[in-house]
Amino acid sequence: MSITKYLWVAIGLAVSATALPGTAEAQDCTTKIGAVLPTSVDWGRPIAETAQFAVDQVNAAGGAAGCQIEMVLRDTQVDPKVGVDAAKALVDLEGVKLLLGAVSSGVSMPILTSVTVPGDVVQMSCCSSSTAFTKLSEDGKTNGLWFRTFATTGVQSAVAAKVAADKGYKTVAVMYKNDDWGQDMARLIAADFAAVGVEVTASVAVNDGQPSYRAEVTEALASQPESLYLALYPAEGTAAVREWISLGGTQNMILANSLKSDEFRDNVGLQYLGATLGTDTASPRSESADAFRAAYVERFESEPNGPGLANSYDATMIALLAMEAAGKDASGSDIAAAIAKVTDPNGTPVSADTAGFSAAKDVLSGGGTVMYQGGTGNVRFDKNGDVSAPAVVWAFSEGGIEEVEYMSLNDVDAFITSLK
Amino acid sequence: MIQNLIDGVLTGSYISLGAIGLTLVMHILRFANFSHAELLSLGAYVALVCDALVAALVPVFAVKLAPLSLTWALVLAILMSMVITGLSALLIDRLVFKRVREKGLELSMIFASFGMALIIRNVIGLFFGLSPQLYSRDIAFAMVLSRDPLLLVKPDQIFVLVAALLLMLMLHLLLSRTTFGYSLRAVAENPSLAQVNGVNLHRTIMAVWLIGGALAAVAGVFYGLSHQLIPVMGRDLLLPIFAATIVGGIGSVYGAVLGGFIVGIAGNMALVVLPSGYTPSVPFLLIIVVLMIRPHGLFGEARA
Repeated sequence: MSITKYLWVAIGLAVSATALPGTAEAQDCTTKIGAVLPTSVDWGRPIAETAQFAVDQVNAAGGAAGCQIEMVLRDTQVDPKVGVDAAKALVDLEGVKLLLGAVSSGVSMPILTSVTVPGDVVQMSCCSSSTAFTKLSEDGKTNGLWFRTFATTGVQSAVAAKVAADKGYKTVAVMYKNDDWGQDMARLIAADFAAVGVEVTASVAVNDGQPSYRAEVTEALASQPESLYLALYPAEGTAAVREWISLGGTQNMILANSLKSDEFRDNVGLQYLGATLGTDTASPRSESADAFRAAYVERFESEPNGPGLANSYDATMIALLAMEAAGKDASGSDIAAAIAKVTDPNGTPVSADTAGFSAAKDVLSGGGTVMYQGGTGNVRFDKNGDVSAPAVVWAFSEGGIEEVEYMSLNDVDAFITSLK
Repeated sequence: MIQNLIDGVLTGSYISLGAIGLTLVMHILRFANFSHAELLSLGAYVALVCDALVAALVPVFAVKLAPLSLTWALVLAILMSMVITGLSALLIDRLVFKRVREKGLELSMIFASFGMALIIRNVIGLFFGLSPQLYSRDIAFAMVLSRDPLLLVKPDQIFVLVAALLLMLMLHLLLSRTTFGYSLRAVAENPSLAQVNGVNLHRTIMAVWLIGGALAAVAGVFYGLSHQLIPVMGRDLLLPIFAATIVGGIGSVYGAVLGGFIVGIAGNMALVVLPSGYTPSVPFLLIIVVLMIRPHGLFGEARA
């Protein structure tokens, strides 16, 4: 009953720990990760619960990098100030090396520039779509610490360019909503049209809430384009398109997903929309996406229909896989660098669940790489931490809106690569 | 360039109609009525209902008067809407503005009119929904006036312009050739003195609301005919109409007409020099420039 006995016990534990790496050892420590999500709004809570769901599954597989994972969740209230304070507390006080969030681009951005980049912390967002992040990354200001599992508006603009090219349009006029989103779209679409050899004859900003869009339409019409691209919302879109058609403008139109509405179809009139095609991003049609749905339904007893749920799950899983790959006590940069190892298109495919995480551990410990197959498909980040998404081309029909073409993630990626 | 000019004249026609009513009310009742533009929405939506009613009762009237997208049903609906909107304006005055006028200050009237605008706008939204409505779902195609330079005009717009000019002419005759017109101008000039000379102030104010409301209804329908009906159309039209009134000079009917056309043309011509995102600033710029050069507007006069 003395020190010797404890010594033997300790040695015994140490031996068994060596014998069974990843199980016994994992119980000894806890690694904290941070999450800043808008839990106080109704659609934000499920996003946070989905992230916790992923963490639970990883813990069931023995945790990541040898430790159990504890997700410390803070509310952003969709307010940049609150979000930054929460992120600062998590990084400075809790010492997290990995931060999940935020949802809104306007909240994620100040966190990225003032907390995670200076603190060398990986930031993985489920839901921010602004291309401002891409720009920031291209300027080298994210230090490669920024990732997101939500496709940017770039996917839609690329698909629109593909539609124009497939249809053989030579010229196009662009009318866009004069806000952040519309300006973003206009900038992207101009580059993408140019890349496929379609000439943009006019790019016209449309302010909403104007009594008349006649002047804007006239300006676009004056360039006599073969087709028209619209990134507008239904209210001003209807007015502008009716004006456009009545003035004899082409009915070869390409629409952003914002005009995917029955109201728009009814008010413009189906008879004028026969040559119109629209674009949108789509959820993937893969086994892994179905598996995520099934797992989600089993856990939460409802379909994952809210925004960003599959994205939140994948963001968490990939981040934890990267933590595993980076090993114990890795810095933020190490984890960021390890993300390529777990989203390697040539790696061993692993599923998005406890078994998949365990399998990934084995492959990673053997020095291999894995390809994570999650709720949003086979996630792959580009050099700016952006992902793309499958896309659909749609058209208006008698019954509503029907799909014309589905582009898988690989098709979209291949096409976007061909544009660059 | 010429196309922009033509478009501007056509846009100007319904802005002018709206501005006439506003300028009368602003001059005679001496307050800036921010709810005036809502009378346009009200008139447009009343006409929408009347149009559907007439078309349902007398299906013969639902046939289009080619090449216009106008129907006899809508013509009748416009007349009905003029009456109903005029009476509504009167009712609003009786219920709200009259009481505020008797007790409150000039500023209270302005706030009351803001409140009225919000109420009307939201009641319309409550009844008709927030999405756009149309008198006719068919698109009336534009006529090509010339190929080079490309000039396009819609038949509906020519109708709107002609009808607006006719209405203005009628109003001009009313104001300049009738005793009623004289008494109206007398009240605008000096209410007390007019009363001393036997003008019934109460009835004159009623007439102002009726005329203003009726013209607003026509302007609203014409706007709806050219574009679309949406509950926020009053909000969108408020600024151009105020700009037209101020540029023309408060109280001057002719100034309001001219102001309407100036605002319409300037808004359309602005695209020639400004990027399209900046065109909404043009009415503001016009107001500033005119007020700097002629503080009372083009036709306005200083009053004691």
